[in-house]
Amino acid sequence: MEKMVLVKGLRKRYGTLEAVKGIDFEIAKGEIFALIGPNGAGKTTTLRMIATILKPNEGSIEVCGIDAVKEPARVRELISYLPEEAGAYKNLTGLGYLKFMASLFAKNPSDENMYVEKAKEVCGLGDRLRSKIGTYSKGMTRKLLLARAVMTSPQLAILDEPTSGLDIINAMEIRNLIKSLAAEGMSVLVSSHNMLEIEYLSNRVSIINNGVIYKTGTPEELKASGAKNLEEVFLEVTR
Amino acid sequence: MKQFISMLKKELKELLTLQMLLPLIIGSMIFVMLGNIVGAETKKMAEPQMIFLIDFDNTQSSALVVLALENSNFIIEMIKPSSSNEADETDKAIQRAKDEDIGFLLSIGKGFEQGLDGLEQQNIKTYSIVKNFSITSGVGSAKVSSTLSAINNYLSGELIKEYSGQDIDPEVIKSPVISIDNTIVGNNIAQINPGEVTSFIMSQTIFIPIIMFIIIIFSSQMIGVSVASEKENKTLETLLSTPISRMTLVTAKMVAAAIAALVMAGVYMFGFSFYMEGMSGGALTTGQNTQGAIEALGLTIGTGGYMLIGLSLFLSILIALAIAMILGAFAEDVKKVQGLLSPIIFVIMIPYLLSMFVDIPNASLAIKVIIYIIPFSYTFLAAPNMFLQNYSIIYIGAIYQFVLFIVLAVIATRIFSSDKILTLKLSFGKKK
Repeated sequence: MEKMVLVKGLRKRYGTLEAVKGIDFEIAKGEIFALIGPNGAGKTTTLRMIATILKPNEGSIEVCGIDAVKEPARVRELISYLPEEAGAYKNLTGLGYLKFMASLFAKNPSDENMYVEKAKEVCGLGDRLRSKIGTYSKGMTRKLLLARAVMTSPQLAILDEPTSGLDIINAMEIRNLIKSLAAEGMSVLVSSHNMLEIEYLSNRVSIINNGVIYKTGTPEELKASGAKNLEEVFLEVTR
Repeated sequence: MKQFISMLKKELKELLTLQMLLPLIIGSMIFVMLGNIVGAETKKMAEPQMIFLIDFDNTQSSALVVLALENSNFIIEMIKPSSSNEADETDKAIQRAKDEDIGFLLSIGKGFEQGLDGLEQQNIKTYSIVKNFSITSGVGSAKVSSTLSAINNYLSGELIKEYSGQDIDPEVIKSPVISIDNTIVGNNIAQINPGEVTSFIMSQTIFIPIIMFIIIIFSSQMIGVSVASEKENKTLETLLSTPISRMTLVTAKMVAAAIAALVMAGVYMFGFSFYMEGMSGGALTTGQNTQGAIEALGLTIGTGGYMLIGLSLFLSILIALAIAMILGAFAEDVKKVQGLLSPIIFVIMIPYLLSMFVDIPNASLAIKVIIYIIPFSYTFLAAPNMFLQNYSIIYIGAIYQFVLFIVLAVIATRIFSSDKILTLKLSFGKKK
């Protein structure tokens, strides 16, 4: 299967604290790959390094065969990143925000219109896109941001805690949206400390704690030892 | 009451943070330093001042003037005229005063005593060589004026005793001696009091520090808040992962803040012009004679001059924006921005206050270093130096400002291109 992401020996230090301690994984085209672990496990740092906004101290990251450390600008054209609990510009309307973000990726006006149209369809906010983002609920903002993240049909969408803080209905809608986008061929790297959500969403999962990946596999492979769910697997491997 | 105390403690803990107190302490220390510097300058002003005096009359009355000046703390060097041509001799004395860096020359004309005896009002000509327009620059002339006033009091008393009841012009009795003040700027000389010149210069350039304060404070706050709120809302992380270059991001933010600040400054200046007009009630507008004297001294700024001041102001704004961008990048959140940006305001205040009170070319090396190292100084110094035809300091200042801006812009871009923009927050342990 075609590899979209290849991570080898990745390390990241903040002063004396080593947040990521030499991790390896790969993501195939159209795969939803999850990093699960508790707060402070190294998930966000790993995602930020793949999103080219942090530089690793050691190791390599390849996205679509491009070295993300040496050529971050090329990689940025192929990916999109949704940070955990990210906000948007409250004085812009939803539509204004989508147009602004589309303009950063689009090479010409027709591409820009295409991206905005796709985002409008994905977010399903309808006429509320004409309202200022400051008036949106948390769920609406998250849908808008997710639509922004996928409107350019990136090769890789990096989603950090995509359903964090959302109610059941909004979280469910976003999970289904991610699944449908992956089915269309988009690779997704998702992080969460909600292991049950990941079990439902992901094709493969890596369990990370203290900057180390303990185990990687499909949810079924990880539960093969008899665990009822991924939470039990996590407790088992990190004990 | 217990609830009130708990609430009060919580509020104080939130308000009196180190980030809030530190700029205040630094600001207070800067005022202490400025107070010492201005105090030293004031003491220097009180020290006996050397002046030249050329006495064409050489009589008891002219000797009385010399004595009165000596009693007023002037050290007088008498210039002996080599001929009776007063104009030529005065020119020579002015040149000598310029060469020897003496700021003040006083000339008592032939027939001074005879005129007084004949009950005619007599002139004493003063020549102030102006080399800066600080508040202290006109002190020599002001001291001579007060001395002349003392002489007049004395002579007037004598005249009243001698001629009381007789038909004499009261103006002669009130002021037997009047001073005809001359001001010299470079090679130009005009009959005007140097105090009037300083007031004129101040009225013409007062808008510069005001507009600079407004623009810099607004723009640096805007950009600082913009960067900090992008960090806080994580919109910055999103932007950094898009194909936009770091240089474009930094430049767009700075230009937007500069435009917004210029609009605000324009609106404020519009209101301020009415305030100034109301305050002066026309008092600041110059009379025809004064205007003529100002023009004779070459103290006018043309379009090119205003463009040069504008360039210096623009470079100061860019520097402040670049500094604010860097400081804003290190703010953990919007709340912390205010405290982080206070140093910019203090750094602007130092050259503003010093240039107002201190004769910079004659100041100590330490003060000169402080003034010339602060990039904002050159904007305050631009107009006065333009009046004095010292273009070199304006050009050197503009080059220094430009180079410094490039350095700061590169630092800002590097911060945005590196982990620092995100990791500083991480180092406080709020994130992994």
